[in-house]
Amino acid sequence: MGNRILVIDDDIDTADYLSCFLEDHGYQVRVAGDATTALSTLQTYSPDIILLDVLMPGRSGLDLLVTLRRDPRWENIRLVVITGNDQILQDDCQSYLGTHHGVRGPDALLGKPIDRKTLLAILERLGQLEERSTSGGA
Amino acid sequence: MESNYRQYWEDMPCYLSVHDREFRIVDGNRLFRSDFGDRIGEYCYQVYKGVEEVCPDCPVKLTFEDGHSHGSEQALTTRHGDRVSVMVHTTPIRDEAGEIVAVMEMHTDIGEIKRLQNLLEQSQRRLAQLFEEVPCYITVQGPDHVIQHANRKFRDTFGPAVGDYCYRVYKHREEQCLVCPSVKTLADGKTREHEEVMVSLDGEKFNMLVTTAPLRDADGKPEAVIKMSIDITQIRRLQSQLASIGLLVGSISHGIKGLLTGLDGGIYLVNSGFQKDNPQRVTKGWEMVQRNVDKIRSMVLDILYYAKDRDLTIADVDVGALVAEIRELMTRKAEDFDIRLDVQVAPDVGTIQGDQSAIRAALVNILENSLEACQVDRHKSGHWVRFRARRASPWMVFEIEDNGIGMDRETREKIFSLFFSSKGVKGTGLGLFISNKIVDKHGGTIAVTSEPGRGTRFLVRLPLEARPSTHPGTV
Repeated sequence: MGNRILVIDDDIDTADYLSCFLEDHGYQVRVAGDATTALSTLQTYSPDIILLDVLMPGRSGLDLLVTLRRDPRWENIRLVVITGNDQILQDDCQSYLGTHHGVRGPDALLGKPIDRKTLLAILERLGQLEERSTSGGA
Repeated sequence: MESNYRQYWEDMPCYLSVHDREFRIVDGNRLFRSDFGDRIGEYCYQVYKGVEEVCPDCPVKLTFEDGHSHGSEQALTTRHGDRVSVMVHTTPIRDEAGEIVAVMEMHTDIGEIKRLQNLLEQSQRRLAQLFEEVPCYITVQGPDHVIQHANRKFRDTFGPAVGDYCYRVYKHREEQCLVCPSVKTLADGKTREHEEVMVSLDGEKFNMLVTTAPLRDADGKPEAVIKMSIDITQIRRLQSQLASIGLLVGSISHGIKGLLTGLDGGIYLVNSGFQKDNPQRVTKGWEMVQRNVDKIRSMVLDILYYAKDRDLTIADVDVGALVAEIRELMTRKAEDFDIRLDVQVAPDVGTIQGDQSAIRAALVNILENSLEACQVDRHKSGHWVRFRARRASPWMVFEIEDNGIGMDRETREKIFSLFFSSKGVKGTGLGLFISNKIVDKHGGTIAVTSEPGRGTRFLVRLPLEARPSTHPGTV
């Protein structure tokens, strides 16, 4: 469990890189370049974890996060926000989203440039959480 | 009784003397004798002033002439050489027939009063000088908003002002301001501070820190307001520049992190491609590295353009050659993402006057924006960017059109703003800001039409003959 990942990033290089890296480590990866494509992908693909960029053309990553959190179909997906924006990293993202939208924030935050070891550690932790919640519910 | 009067006469604390019609002194009291000597029988003008003729404004003479008392200010010289300022009063002495036979003169020492008066005048002069020369702008206005006084610096910069309404002088308004700190200061006697932008006689704008303070009447009630303005334009400019630098640093930092991610990704693909003996992956990784190096180069050029205040170097620019040069720059970028770059140059384009490197930077920034708009559009395939140049006198028109992601109204309205970026990791918010600045500096315009999902069209018009804009700013 926990090995299906959706990467949402408008930067093709970053998306390609993450896709190759994660596949090299045994994950099954799909890529979406913006929020609209991501929502369309989610109709047919059920990821365990979403890696989400924040600044994208059209709807922002945080905006998409709010939509995902509010929809019961996707409420159990683990969300990792990846950003190079210091403000988002410095601010308490949970508090920002709580204040503005009353939803649970991301399950993890990761700064750019991406530290691959940290990314793997986050995915492993979230995967274990996924397993626990699945076995607990069985 | 007579001896009593004589005693009073002698003891009076002022100079008393009696003069006959010849201006001879016929009597004097003790203080007179003490300071001028026993000079009975001598002419008063010799005794009091050491001159040889009757003084032109002699009050004794006037009293002999008209029988009235007269008074004037005089300066006497004692026998010790001291000058004494006195107030002189005369009164006629009549005989039994009512004829004036003598005039009594009383000299009261007003030396202390004169000294204080001089001090007061000196103090007033100093205050007036201080008001005039203080290195800030000062006006005084009454409850009717009419300016009563304005110091030299104020008058030199903003005009005479005195007699005019404060709202006309300070704000160029024809009616009283809705919120008036002077009115509040007059009402409660408290000082207030606020900022205003004032325009000088020659049209220069000043950021002013204005302080209002009450001027009170004898009862302590505010009767006028003094307004003191300090020019803080430089401080505001510096603050604005510092804020811009802060934004620039934040924006660059964000951009660099994104580019580092791309470089890191490219290196990962190259390394892992070698390990897996996968040449395709190596090629893909290497292309990724090249692309991100190009982006870093472009970002650095943008930053340099932003940071350096450079004047345009106007020369004849061969538009056909310029477009060919830009096509060579952009072709590989377009091919990397399977975007068709269609370049068309009308045969009669000829030349324009302008700064070739600046125009090239402006057009490249717009073209890069268009390529990226196609690159991020995942909803359709067959992306293209058209770059056309044609002559439409008096303009050279460059048209850059794409069928990329397009922009909504909000994005469209902000695209030329400094540090605005809709491009996530790739944007520093400098590129189109700089393009717009360059075109504006040449006296040209950029028009944008765009629709989300459909694409964007930039229409850049540059004058054929150089007519640089007078707008201040950095290119």
